[in-house]
Amino acid sequence: MHPKQMPTFEACSSMSSESRNLNQNQRATEFDARETEQSLPKFSSHLDNSFHQSNQAQRVAMNWDPRAVLNSLDILGQKIHQIQDIVRSTLSDERQLSIQPNEFAAQQQLINTDLTCTIIELISTAGTLLPLIKNALASGINSSGQIGGIANSASDLDLVDILRQNDNNLLSEGTKDSEYEELIKGLSDWDDEGMKPISTEDNDVKDNEDGVSGENLPLGSYEVLQLEKEEILAPHTHFCAICGKGFKRDANLRMHMRGHGDEYKSPSALAKPTKEGSSEPVPIKRYSCPFIGCKRNKEHKNFQPLKTILCVKNHYKRSHCDKSYTCRRCNSKKFSVMADLKTHEKHCGSNKWLCSCGTTFSRKDKLFGHIALFQGHTPALSMDEVKSQGMSVQGQSDEVMAKEEDIDYLISGNVIEDTNFSGLNGTDNDLGYFSSMNFDSFTFGGIDGLQQPSFDTSESLFSFHK
Amino acid sequence: MERAPQQSSDSILATFSVDLLIQILDRVADSRDRKSWRQVCRGFLHAEALRRLSLRVLRLEALQGLLRRYAACLERLDLSACPSLDDHALAAALASGAGLWRLRSINLSRASGVGWRGLAALAKACPHLEAVDLSHCVGVGDREAASLAAAAGLRDLWLDKCLGLTDVGLAKVAVGCPALEMLGIKWCLEISDIGIELLAKKCQNLRVLDISYLKITNRSLQFVSSLRKLEDLSMVGCSHINDEGLQFLNNGSNSLQTVDVSRCENVTSSGLISVIEGHKYLQDLNIGDCFPELAPLFLSKLNYLRDSLTVLKLDGFQVFAPSLKIIGLNCRNLVEIGLSKCKWVTDEGVSELVAGCVNLTTIDLTCCHLLTNKALVAIGDKCKNLTCLQLESCKLITDNGLDCIGTCCSNLEEIDLTDCTMTNAAMKYLSRCSELTVLKLGLCDKVSDEGLVHIASNCKKLRVLDLYRCFEVTDDGLAAIATGCKRIKNLNLCYCTRITDLGLKHLSCLEDLHDLELRGVHCVTSLGITAIANGCQHLTELDLKHCHLVDDAGLFALGQYTKNLRQANLSYCQVSSMGLCNLLGSLKCLQDVKLVHLTQVPVEGFESALRASGGRLKKLKLLTGLRHLLSPGLIQMLQARGCRIRWVDKPLNLVP
Repeated sequence: MHPKQMPTFEACSSMSSESRNLNQNQRATEFDARETEQSLPKFSSHLDNSFHQSNQAQRVAMNWDPRAVLNSLDILGQKIHQIQDIVRSTLSDERQLSIQPNEFAAQQQLINTDLTCTIIELISTAGTLLPLIKNALASGINSSGQIGGIANSASDLDLVDILRQNDNNLLSEGTKDSEYEELIKGLSDWDDEGMKPISTEDNDVKDNEDGVSGENLPLGSYEVLQLEKEEILAPHTHFCAICGKGFKRDANLRMHMRGHGDEYKSPSALAKPTKEGSSEPVPIKRYSCPFIGCKRNKEHKNFQPLKTILCVKNHYKRSHCDKSYTCRRCNSKKFSVMADLKTHEKHCGSNKWLCSCGTTFSRKDKLFGHIALFQGHTPALSMDEVKSQGMSVQGQSDEVMAKEEDIDYLISGNVIEDTNFSGLNGTDNDLGYFSSMNFDSFTFGGIDGLQQPSFDTSESLFSFHK
Repeated sequence: MERAPQQSSDSILATFSVDLLIQILDRVADSRDRKSWRQVCRGFLHAEALRRLSLRVLRLEALQGLLRRYAACLERLDLSACPSLDDHALAAALASGAGLWRLRSINLSRASGVGWRGLAALAKACPHLEAVDLSHCVGVGDREAASLAAAAGLRDLWLDKCLGLTDVGLAKVAVGCPALEMLGIKWCLEISDIGIELLAKKCQNLRVLDISYLKITNRSLQFVSSLRKLEDLSMVGCSHINDEGLQFLNNGSNSLQTVDVSRCENVTSSGLISVIEGHKYLQDLNIGDCFPELAPLFLSKLNYLRDSLTVLKLDGFQVFAPSLKIIGLNCRNLVEIGLSKCKWVTDEGVSELVAGCVNLTTIDLTCCHLLTNKALVAIGDKCKNLTCLQLESCKLITDNGLDCIGTCCSNLEEIDLTDCTMTNAAMKYLSRCSELTVLKLGLCDKVSDEGLVHIASNCKKLRVLDLYRCFEVTDDGLAAIATGCKRIKNLNLCYCTRITDLGLKHLSCLEDLHDLELRGVHCVTSLGITAIANGCQHLTELDLKHCHLVDDAGLFALGQYTKNLRQANLSYCQVSSMGLCNLLGSLKCLQDVKLVHLTQVPVEGFESALRASGGRLKKLKLLTGLRHLLSPGLIQMLQARGCRIRWVDKPLNLVP
């Protein structure tokens, strides 16, 4: 472990904030050129070593471009030279001592700014190498302590965003002031917000699945997977390798396989497949919605991942598909998930608990709690109440307003009934009128996040039987 | 000052002014005397109309006319005897008595035809309405409750057995009538904890609450316990309530005086202890048929109620002598004790009890088989104020026991000796009790005319006489009763087979007779029935089952004279279609009729008779065989008008 390596990072982070304040920096004066000279080359050499060592082993599995890595490393070298030049120039200025104090201060400030900018670029360039470093660590080959430390500290930084913004500028040495500020801001943002989930969308899902599993991700981090639309909407997720028949459940497929020969009847073939390498800690997986612009899509700036594949399926159908299932009772409510329709149909047409103020409740005790709270409110279940409620608009919820045609219809029905006062048989129809009113207050927005089915097997939903 | 219109110039009464007449009228208490008063002249009638505060209408036809006359002053209106009342009749009556402004109380019990329109009209017409009784109107539901809720000043409301009432209806009433003080929702099976909770929150003035037989749980009691003014809580047969629920009543935040938890299967001593601890002024505690054995702790806790407790009912318990001793020591002010069907009640126990509780007036010892004359001696010795004594099935008691009772308890008003081995001597002892109003001698087959002569000689106030299966009683006995006990209202002569038409002729002078049971008195013919119909015009219930000699002539007489007849059992009578048709067609008040095994009546006879009844019937008992012979339209019509038909399948059994 090289103790000198960490101060380098500390210094650059503190400098970033101080240079923004345009104050004379204590640390900057303490910043020892020799230290920098010693540490930074070492840092780069360590990086180089580790990557070159791991390259051969990882190339096949990781599928990365060695040229890009070399390119990045070149840039790193250039940056380090820049820093060295800047620091040397300050030394030479100090030797001259001929300059006025004011001039000296201004010059030092300029140098500081340059220094900051260069160091930030250095870090960001190093950040592009981060995924590769991670892979190298995961493979467990020659992962030295220094690199581990770097990876840890680097993964704490949300460098990727910064990186993406400035990708184009990385190669060009001449960076402008506005860009500095942006970079500085990026760093300070990360300072303020603390840890952020790293969106490693550059990783291909397939690659990760095919690659070595059991990544040793830092705490609080997780892997984001994204399924394609077709996969999400596929009715079957398990297919027979022989006849191609699809199944919803793996167990059903295994039962089906028995018909293809005795070899599928063995207890081991029929047993529930256990996950390989269960001794290793299973990485936390999260899912992204393939719909661009959706909050559940990993590109979204407030990305909220989905927990399981079932969540993905339900979310995608609810949010981005047509609602093709219509309730057969009320003929108005539509759903895109069959389970939602069934849940609704259980309650549809059953008593909607309505208060005289027009508020509806799905449960009687909720209505009664409401009535207990407010003076003069009564439960409304008879026609006269609906009528008076239709007249007095105040206090009605939007929902009721939206259904005003229904109320009009009810009132007209009531009037007709009232006119033949003597006819007692008219009363029988009241309930019929009433049930036609459908104050449906179900909302399914926001349910996606709440629904967390605990299917252990959901991970294996998309596996083919081999 | 208004002068009474002069009827005849020489009548001295005609010169009295109305206020004087009212002064005089106020001193006339008896209803029969008042009737005579009304018949004197128009002036008297007018004065009576100005003074009449309550009215019970017996026949619906008269309602409009009566209200027109009495509407101005009437405060209480009882329409419970008009079950065929419907919305139209009620609305019309309310319109005719346009000034019913003072009406405070209306009884619509069993008026199953009244719906929400009628009640809405009622609430609108009577702004001062305070009490409404809708009990046993099985059709009343939430909508009716909502109409009723418009009467904001309502204080008393009885909704027993309004089967359609749910929490929503209760909520309507609770919100609409916040001043409610008395509420009965017994047997409203749809009401749940949620409704009770809201009731308790909205009606803080409740004093009397009857929630018997509801499917409510302990949660309800939690809210009921918050009613500060609650004095009387009945929760008979609430099987979901247990000791935990009664714990809520432990805080004593309400003013409970009467608690009835009888038949609550899951209540035990510990729950009752918490009730007692919470309410030191409890007066009336009914814990009958809850749990089998009294815990000693409970008995000692009764000491808390030493001064207040007056009524204690322990029906169905195992009560040993020591327990009764503790009760006697702890509850010195006890006025009424119920030990009905209690096991192990002995002479010793009763003696210990009455030694402590000398103020007892009502003692129920029904089916306490171990009791002998010693217990009666002890009771007679200590309880000088005894008014009611129930001794049904105490078979070891003999005449000598009653000697003491008859001598010492001169205030005795009610005694039940059903199935006791009593003879005429006991009647002689009892005849000393001149205040006797209720005498039950069922199955006392040794009591004969001689005994009845003793009773008739001194018990002028007798109202109820039960002579079920007293075979020895003959016409002479009835003659004595009819002469001595003019005020008899209920008379049970079932299976007194020696009674003939002559006996009934004697009875025909009993003007107050309401209920006469002649089941199995097979010597009686239409002549006797005609005599009864002629004399007893207030007759409302008549049982003629197995009176094989009664024919159409009897029914004609009944149809002509007993206009108030409401229940009739004509099974096994030799009546024909014509008689039946006449009876059902002419009796406007008939509600409940049993027509099993009328062998002389063909199907067409039933058909036309039931059509003639015009849908007034509420209950009907017919043979199952008729079910498919009668026209479906008729059955539908009857049922649509609220008639419940009970189809029975009994073999023809001519010998009772």
